[in-house]
Amino acid sequence: MAKRTYGSTFGDVLRTLFFGRRTATLSLLEEEQVQSPYRTMIRNFREKWSAMLGVYIFLTIFAFVFILPIFFPMDISYQDPTQKNTKPTFAYMKYAKSLQGNVASLGGGSVFGVGVDTDGTVYQWGTLTPKLESRPDFGAKIIQVSAGLDHALALDVNGKVHTWGNDRFTLNAIPPQLMSERTVQVLAGHQLSFALTESGKIFVWGNTNLTSIPVPQEHQGSFKKIAANTTLAAATTKNGEVVILSSKETAFSYIPQEIQGKVIDIALTERSAAAVTKDGQIVVWGGDDHGVTTVPEHAQGKAVQVAAGRGHFTALLDDGTVVSWGRNNYAQAKAPKLKNIVWITSSYFQNYAVDEKGKIHTWGLKGYLMGTDQYGRDLFSRLLSGGRVTLTIGAIAVIISGIIGIILGSFSGYYGGKTDMFLMRLAEVVNAIPFLPLAMILSAIIGSKISETGRIAMIMVILGLLSWPSLARLVRGQILAAREQEFVTAAKAMGITELKIIFKHILPNVITVVLVNLTLSFALCMLYESSLSYLGFGVSEPNATWGNMLYGCNDSTVMAHYWWRWVFPSIALSLCTVSINMAGDGMRDAIDPKSNDR
Amino acid sequence: MLKYVLKRLAYIVVVFLIASVLLFALYKSVPGDPARMMLEGTKASMKPDEYEARYQDAVRKLGLDKPLVVQYITWLFNTLKGDFGYSLTYKMPVRQMIGVPMKNTIMLNVWSLIPVFAITLPLGIATAVRRGTRFDSTVQVVTIIGYSLPFFVIALLFIFLFAVKMPLFPISGVQTPGLRGTPIRMFFDKLHHMALPLIVMVFTSLGGLTRYVRATMIEALRMDYIRTARAKGLSEKVVIYSHAFRNALIPFITIMTGWFISIFSGSVVIERTFLWNGMGKVIIDALNQQDFAVSLAMVMFYLVLSLIGNLLMDLSYGLADPRVKLE
Repeated sequence: MAKRTYGSTFGDVLRTLFFGRRTATLSLLEEEQVQSPYRTMIRNFREKWSAMLGVYIFLTIFAFVFILPIFFPMDISYQDPTQKNTKPTFAYMKYAKSLQGNVASLGGGSVFGVGVDTDGTVYQWGTLTPKLESRPDFGAKIIQVSAGLDHALALDVNGKVHTWGNDRFTLNAIPPQLMSERTVQVLAGHQLSFALTESGKIFVWGNTNLTSIPVPQEHQGSFKKIAANTTLAAATTKNGEVVILSSKETAFSYIPQEIQGKVIDIALTERSAAAVTKDGQIVVWGGDDHGVTTVPEHAQGKAVQVAAGRGHFTALLDDGTVVSWGRNNYAQAKAPKLKNIVWITSSYFQNYAVDEKGKIHTWGLKGYLMGTDQYGRDLFSRLLSGGRVTLTIGAIAVIISGIIGIILGSFSGYYGGKTDMFLMRLAEVVNAIPFLPLAMILSAIIGSKISETGRIAMIMVILGLLSWPSLARLVRGQILAAREQEFVTAAKAMGITELKIIFKHILPNVITVVLVNLTLSFALCMLYESSLSYLGFGVSEPNATWGNMLYGCNDSTVMAHYWWRWVFPSIALSLCTVSINMAGDGMRDAIDPKSNDR
Repeated sequence: MLKYVLKRLAYIVVVFLIASVLLFALYKSVPGDPARMMLEGTKASMKPDEYEARYQDAVRKLGLDKPLVVQYITWLFNTLKGDFGYSLTYKMPVRQMIGVPMKNTIMLNVWSLIPVFAITLPLGIATAVRRGTRFDSTVQVVTIIGYSLPFFVIALLFIFLFAVKMPLFPISGVQTPGLRGTPIRMFFDKLHHMALPLIVMVFTSLGGLTRYVRATMIEALRMDYIRTARAKGLSEKVVIYSHAFRNALIPFITIMTGWFISIFSGSVVIERTFLWNGMGKVIIDALNQQDFAVSLAMVMFYLVLSLIGNLLMDLSYGLADPRVKLE
């Protein structure tokens, strides 16, 4: 097969015409070579390109889902609503090149950024909503910008505030009182906008139903700087005090008393606050998540500015270096070694630092390779972890069904009679009840009583227990044929026990057929698992499988606007099952002697 | 032959009984008290003793006070008579509520038969006759891909292409909501909604069946009688369509029944994706709302369907191929 038959090409014909028929191109050893059946099988298999392609694709997927998660660990319970349904991109910190060297102000938003250069030209980058794209004409030179969840604010030289982006929740309704005041700081928060005036007053507008930010009247007029997270805001006053702007008492309210009167800067993460005092100390209070309260030693006494994202802090030190600490899931707390930094700004998962030449340095979340889902989880890491679960479930289900199928099929085929009758009726019963509805009912009844992780094991067992009959039938047929052969009679005559005859003498003869069947049913089990999960009766959240990542994706909004949510899991699942089936099909052809006489 | 039929029938009755016991046991292991669920929502509006009386009434009505064996036998007979119990979510007998979905599902499945036949038979024969050519190997690879792809991936892809990108068909549903018009208009509206699920259904069936037709055709073409026919000088057309194809049809008929049953079960996924008000959707909704009487009725329906299918398969095999051993 490997050698094409001589005379099959035009060149061969010419050669035969002019030089006569060529004799023996093979040496004697080659001519007489005999191959064992197994080597013939392997050779046949390797000659089939689709089978080999299937093997290579499957091995690649296997390596991907089992090795890559070591480098991209996934926190299963992690969610972040600010990052939901963002498209695949790496442009979150890809600021406009013309900002480099003459940047005046920067603002990092959830998945985008806004910047203004010293000439007052505003630039935007990252994933922009259509409303953000349609930026208004400001009419005056902009000196300061700030970006929030899905809107942005700008401040011009005349102290006037401009807003664009999301205009719901009265975000576009700049308070009329601001018209008569000169604003010095704008801050875009989570569906909220803040403005601090020259006279030290704070104005808040936006979705105040979601988070109400009361501004205490006794401090109104003395504010100096404002910081905010998604639930509340904090401000420093002109005499160095910290004021928490919240209607509820939270962990933020317990401001360390020793810093009051000395605070020069403040920043808020989701669960904690950090303040920089006049003598360069950094004090953190609130919840201690991801080590935010352990401020790096060398920063103490030297800090001049602090900025915060959703779970990390970044501080600028008086020697012009920066330091970051706290949550590091997107490398946002891994500050590069920088020098001569003049000012910093941080937001969500991004950090920007500007040095004295106006050069911008960035670190943190650049974007997502495959976008995020409806809970703001990175699809790529979910795809990897989901692949691991899907492959494991498929493999273990096949092992379970393989063990049951081989044992029952062998007994049934070898002993025949009543055993055969009983076992085959059993197989018929299992086979008669349609697979998917029965698996769904079992999963609904058992699954309500066990944990999410227990469900994974349950699905394996259900698939294994329901998919053995076809294999049992196959093994039975093979054993029936092998039973009457001479070697079995010989083994019986030698007094070998029946179990040994079945499993050591007969089974190895039929194992290739069984292996092919197992390979094909591996793909089938994966398909069943993903169908179950897709229907909502398989592995449930927060665990990921390729099937349950597609749960709810038949929605027209998801189909049309969040294509990455269904395209990537579909491709992964399809590639995997197609490659397994191609390999299995190649195996079947390779061991089937009839296909040799092509 | 009669003996064979009777034997198969006896087997099927046995299988049915065992499966029904298993399903009944499953049904009984469901958490929750169906009698209480039946009275759900009425407790607040009644006095305790009145509620208790109503509860006892419900227990008696559902037959929960009798021993399990009696319950099983009553249930089995009722099921065979077509009384599938009482749906707790729809507050009506299951038999009444599954009429429309059953019609929808059967319509979808039966309609898909025609295109599947029209495509797989010629394609399978063509690849078998031209075995080993580039055409054949291409079709082989394409069909592997066809049957390896999950139903819902194909469905999502088709929705994206033909309902979102090119809005030729509605994304989901059985009928335009609130549409009133002549019966002809209603019919075409339904057809319009059915088109996309139907296309997906046909598409998913092509791969496996084409390969099967090819395999049986190759088997048939290898037979001695084909060589004889060719030696007689019959035209290739006659050899293929009259001699080989008829014999290849025998195993094909048998797998057709199996395939037809499997699409009933497989249409669960398609119905869910297209929100097609069929039995698959009913079973999913029932399970989500813990309405186990409905889901059990559905599985019983599938069971009966598959058993009848198996019987037909055996019989057609026996009829079509006299060589089948009637042991």
